[in-house]
Amino acid sequence: MSLIVAAFGFGLVSMSIIAISAVGFTMQFGITNMINLAYGQVMIASAYAAYALNNAGVSIWLSLPVGAIFGAVFSFLLNRLVYAPFQRKGTNLIGMVIISLAVSLVIANVMLPIVGYYSVSYHQDPGTTYHFGSIALTGEQILIIALAVVVMLAIYALLRFTRLGKAMRATAANPTLARNCGIPTARVVDLAWLITGALCGVAGTVAGMNSDSFSVASGSEFLIPIIAASILGGAGSPYGAMIGAVIIGEMTEISAAIISPEYKQVVAFAVLVLVMVLRPQGLLAKRGALAAAG
Amino acid sequence: MTYYLTTVLVYAAVDILACLAISLQFGVSGIVNFSFIIFQAAGAYTAAVLSLPRDTANGGFQTYILGLNLSFPLPWIAATLVGALLAPPIGLVVLRRLRSDYQAIAMLVLSVIASLVVTNTPAFLDGAAGLSLVPQPLSDKFNPYSEAYLWAYTAGALILAVIVFFIAQRIINSPYGRSLRAMRENEVAAKALGKNAVALKMTVFVVGGAIAGLSGAILVGFITTWAPSTWLYPETLILFAAVIVGGRGNNYGAVLGALLVPVGFEEATRYLPPFGPPGLIPALEWVCIGGLILGFLWFRPRGVLPERRRVFPPRRQVAEVGNPSASRD
Repeated sequence: MSLIVAAFGFGLVSMSIIAISAVGFTMQFGITNMINLAYGQVMIASAYAAYALNNAGVSIWLSLPVGAIFGAVFSFLLNRLVYAPFQRKGTNLIGMVIISLAVSLVIANVMLPIVGYYSVSYHQDPGTTYHFGSIALTGEQILIIALAVVVMLAIYALLRFTRLGKAMRATAANPTLARNCGIPTARVVDLAWLITGALCGVAGTVAGMNSDSFSVASGSEFLIPIIAASILGGAGSPYGAMIGAVIIGEMTEISAAIISPEYKQVVAFAVLVLVMVLRPQGLLAKRGALAAAG
Repeated sequence: MTYYLTTVLVYAAVDILACLAISLQFGVSGIVNFSFIIFQAAGAYTAAVLSLPRDTANGGFQTYILGLNLSFPLPWIAATLVGALLAPPIGLVVLRRLRSDYQAIAMLVLSVIASLVVTNTPAFLDGAAGLSLVPQPLSDKFNPYSEAYLWAYTAGALILAVIVFFIAQRIINSPYGRSLRAMRENEVAAKALGKNAVALKMTVFVVGGAIAGLSGAILVGFITTWAPSTWLYPETLILFAAVIVGGRGNNYGAVLGALLVPVGFEEATRYLPPFGPPGLIPALEWVCIGGLILGFLWFRPRGVLPERRRVFPPRRQVAEVGNPSASRD
């Protein structure tokens, strides 16, 4: 029993990481109608950007913003240089999925010769371990959870209370109508890529902090729980992705304690299959702030 | 030299089969089957465990299920059947209600997960190490290392590829093929004309799965080993690159793409002088595959040999009142 409670504690950490990444992933989909399968690779690239600074002797918490900025700029350029031109050309949804998978392949293999094949780990001090009953969390893990809570509140505030958030929701709901109402949708989309890219960079860096080591190959591993959480919550809905992250994060960690850690991803996938059979629109579709278009 | 030539030709036959299947699914019907490679893998594993003796043979250095030691045509037939039978359960989950891009990512995730499961379950198909010493077909009657055997195997593989090519040709020119194209172009209109889109997708999924299973059996019978590292999800993307380059929906394009991309790349890099640190050339190869997809989708989305436009002389009354997308196809 105490094993399961301990796993619940780890679940809190992994749900935090999944939540940060899945909200970014699902907002890209909601606002630009684009399933960006290169998301996992951008996460890894940002994690390596933070690693470069961390390896030079900077604390990992100070390197985190660098990972965020790298992710933001990378995602912005990716959209400007690749995705947006293809979308303007009228490439259909299927074509865009193939393009993003091809982009993911290119990013991974451009990175390989640069960063090498071996996995690396951050130079970090996990801090003292705090015990809450059977749950044992390091100071760093508690900070990750706190960071996730702050990021979720910030996303909520952005979408709920700011003009930009309102414009994003309008663009997600109906881009043509939003443009006709005078919303500069092109700029909204640019900002959306910057913000979601920053989330992606933060998520990549904290995922690297929470795992013993990471390598270029971790990109596709990261992506599976993110896709599962986003689809579970209803693709395009940030609040759905948060709920999805809670469910997927806890289920994977608890099943790792009960069955075997090797099958973590398989459990995430099983949830995904169940959702697709029983409720393909997800838990919160059409009710979240960013209902999926089409 | 014989060995080299036969290897290239067998790979060509296998890639042609795979590209024909992808062209049927993706080119003709618009289904992006990112889990294609697991159908090929299922066929290869089936053929392997059916032709291998029990896993206690060979000193028991590998563990796997079955090991029935069946003689030649049976493992290949079974591989084709397993490829076909794998399609309905996947299709029932994926193809019924999901939007097309959801279908694609669901199958991509499935491909990653399948390889994880096989890698982490050594008792099933020997995990990450994979199966080796798979007996070649009819190796009990002929010497599988003789030149004559290699050429006969190559000829057999190529003949099967030709047969499948003609079957694929029949499919795309049949009324069934017309329905598939109608569904691809405008699913709502096809449904409105009474076409059952789910049934259409399921049948082409099964046909593609069978072809993929057969191609896996041919490959494993020749190279005699099969492991998870040979069927990672990027392998599917190579085949998609081939079909996009060759021309989707056109069987000649699929054949051309198979010869240009998977076969051509493998052979071209063989003759490159080694440069850079180890692993640089394979990485660059993947960058080129990705670049090829992006480049072709941008500059020539219909491929080198585009699908033939099918124009039928309009029947007057139908053309006037009919749905434009229905009369076009």
